[in-house]
Amino acid sequence: MPQEVPSPVPARFAFTLNGQSREARGPRDLPLLWYLRDTLGLTGTKFGCGKGICGACTVVEGSTAVRACQVTIEQASGKNYTTIEGLSPDGTHPVQRAWLAENVAQCGYCQPGMILEVVALLLRDARPGASEIASALDGHVCRCGSYPRIRKAIERVVHEQP
Amino acid sequence: MSTRRDFLVGSAVAGGGLLLGLRLPVNAAERGSPESNAPASSFRPNAWLRIAAGGGIVLVVGRSEMGQGVRTALAKIVAEELDVDLAQVELEQASPSAEYDDLGTGGSSSMSDGWMPLRQAGAAARAMLLGAAARRWEVSVDACRTAAGRVHGPGDRSASYGELAAEAAHARVPFSPVLKSAAQRKTIGQPSPRFDGPAIVTGRALYGLDVRRPGMLFAVVARPPRFGGSLRSFDAARALAFPGVRACFAIPSGVAVIAESTWSAISGRDQLAIEWTEGTGPSFESAAHHARLASAVEESGVTTRKDGRGRAALAAAALRHHAVYAYPFAAHGAVEPVNSTAHVTGERSGRKCEIWAATQAPNTVQTKCAEALGLKPSAVTVHVTLIGGGFGRRLGVDFNVESVEIARQVAEPVQLLWTRDDDLAHGYFQAAAAHRLEAACDGSGRILAWDHRKASTPHNARSKPSAAELADAEYLADSSWGVTDNPYLVADFESSYRVVDSPVPIGPWRAVFAPSSVFARESFIDELAAFGHRAPVDFRRELLAEPEGVSSRANGVRAAVPATPDELRRRGRRERLSGALERLATVTGWWREGTAALPPDHGRGVAADVFHTGTCVAYGVEVQRAAPLRPGDLPFGIARVVAVVDCGVVIDPDGVAQQVESGIFWSLSNAFGESTFENGRLRETNLETFRVARYRHLPEAIEIHIVDTAEERPRGLGEPVVSPFAPALANALAQLFGRRFRRLPLRPEDFA
Repeated sequence: MPQEVPSPVPARFAFTLNGQSREARGPRDLPLLWYLRDTLGLTGTKFGCGKGICGACTVVEGSTAVRACQVTIEQASGKNYTTIEGLSPDGTHPVQRAWLAENVAQCGYCQPGMILEVVALLLRDARPGASEIASALDGHVCRCGSYPRIRKAIERVVHEQP
Repeated sequence: MSTRRDFLVGSAVAGGGLLLGLRLPVNAAERGSPESNAPASSFRPNAWLRIAAGGGIVLVVGRSEMGQGVRTALAKIVAEELDVDLAQVELEQASPSAEYDDLGTGGSSSMSDGWMPLRQAGAAARAMLLGAAARRWEVSVDACRTAAGRVHGPGDRSASYGELAAEAAHARVPFSPVLKSAAQRKTIGQPSPRFDGPAIVTGRALYGLDVRRPGMLFAVVARPPRFGGSLRSFDAARALAFPGVRACFAIPSGVAVIAESTWSAISGRDQLAIEWTEGTGPSFESAAHHARLASAVEESGVTTRKDGRGRAALAAAALRHHAVYAYPFAAHGAVEPVNSTAHVTGERSGRKCEIWAATQAPNTVQTKCAEALGLKPSAVTVHVTLIGGGFGRRLGVDFNVESVEIARQVAEPVQLLWTRDDDLAHGYFQAAAAHRLEAACDGSGRILAWDHRKASTPHNARSKPSAAELADAEYLADSSWGVTDNPYLVADFESSYRVVDSPVPIGPWRAVFAPSSVFARESFIDELAAFGHRAPVDFRRELLAEPEGVSSRANGVRAAVPATPDELRRRGRRERLSGALERLATVTGWWREGTAALPPDHGRGVAADVFHTGTCVAYGVEVQRAAPLRPGDLPFGIARVVAVVDCGVVIDPDGVAQQVESGIFWSLSNAFGESTFENGRLRETNLETFRVARYRHLPEAIEIHIVDTAEERPRGLGEPVVSPFAPALANALAQLFGRRFRRLPLRPEDFA
């Protein structure tokens, strides 16, 4: 049986996205993922499952990795988000550089989420241990099997930081 | 008669550049049959190398990038022979047309198909540019050389390819351009960064789902939950009341919901009230299907290969062993769910369609969508995007056809998304299978006779096999990779296939027919080695060694009967597989006395395979007991994986390593994840219940060894690296736990 129709009253919600103030207009239940992808056309944040299981839509909220499919634009109010498009102007963030140096990506679809997870991890702990890395990345699915190179890329970032 | 003109033509382009057309062989995975070797009556190029007067070097090529690195690798082949830096080559993705009539990607064949034509094209263009420079400077060609996209002549004379392109275009295409020798290569055989890497890490890489068109709408489809069901009636009132939902209508596969955003479409679909008919397989249970497979494999099927006396020889032997192996259904579960964007415009004779698709089969998208719309293929334009994981699923075009069924009823461009549940539940699957192997051995453990029975369901998703095909030995042998092309030498050999029908759609899935067969065969070989107290590598190598009296290249003795080309090919494969196993034993030191002692609570296993393309892979796996990390996890960890790969000429060693890593994780996922069906519907509809390898399953160490070979052809990797990993793992677990693991996926209760 269909559930009750939610009442998605369009409203305005203000937050910061990639350093710029944004005022989102839309139903309060609208997931940030679809606001980014369909409204703003920022397609670097990927859809993989819509249920917070695969990590493809990971963005950084403040300094924490969150699943954009699990955050409504109402919940996003007043917060500060970084998506893959805003990580660096030219792809030279240390994590992006390490990703290229280790040739991490295969199909690449899950990689923006992986990269932002690692960015948030390193904000929390500049020298994460193996178990912290594993628990941070375990919420992500890569079907191509880029995991060994992700491990190497993280080691490279940790090693190269001052 | 085949001449160079059969695969290379040149012409000038507008604006004064050089254009070379070349031809890649038709992709068998897309077409379902290999291309005939007969020369085409007229040459039609399907890839182009273009050097603009301004200097831009563009390779227009039709192979889809889905993570296998094909764009980088194809560009490397051209860059090598053309003598330009890889960074100077731009890639343009081809769209299907009368010209680009084969853009299919599958069968691990892109490198072997592209190798010669792309080298020829690069070398021919280089020769034409050299010739143009020599004429311009009135010097001999021998006095000129090329480097990094320039021709250098005597003194300080130098010109870029772009400056010479217009003159070069008027030259004859050389009949037989000189190709570089292996020793002269600078790019091939060296690691290169991925062509699409920078776009991927900045989020600029565009996959199918990232297509954005002005004014576009978004769609999802409600489909029958059970196999064979169809739409009886639906009420869309509540769905249409959802903000942003524009329309709901029936299409052949179900009910489409069209909205202003993906979220509105998904939310609107939740509000549909639909009645479905029961369908043809409403009560299908995979547990019962596995039981049917297990009993079917006890009966004889259609014989797919018979050597010597076949299975009859088993009866006479004193020592016999048999075992039955079970293998699950499995979805693909690419992280980018299938999707397709379509825009139908114009009326009557002016009607056209444009499609943006992450597809492995662009030509099929064009023809099938044209057919659905009643248009000529030329009225349908297909733009091929990057693919967020293919694995064979995107050889199917069901979702593209569905998108045009929607777009024909909507004025705007429409992006159709299959949500994760849709993608897992309504695609096609790797077939469940049972394998029964039986062997007879002599007192020394030598295998005298071999019987391998397979029970499974042949592909039925893209087209249904006829009753005649299902009884045809050749058809079933073609569905028996890993069974009929068993590389081991046994005089009395028989294999058979018993078809067990199921309503589950079955279609291409990475390594296609090989995974279940190789799992069973390599596990069984290991069991036989253990019975004979033989080291598993030595045991396999003995089965690959030529019997006494047969000549080999090594001893040069003439055989009594000349070997057929087929036999010579098989012999070469046995030699190379044996070499890969030998290398594995050497680099690990495992199974050798006095070296690499097995630590307590560890187990080691090996498995190997020759894929039908000729690529040989041997895996060694070392496991250790470990507490499960999460509920449902298994009580072991992988300490070390050693892979030895012989894939012919290596275009990019880092690309080879990526493919091997990819194969390991694909097979590992297959070792503990599966798709099951209950009451006619899929149970594992998300990426938690459909268990796939995650970061916590990462082996502590992965080492990849590539066999140096003088062989001048690449043999493909995407599929060959998959199948032998799971049995190597199962064999290692057998040593650690002292019992056999004959059923995939492995389950916690198997270890109780």
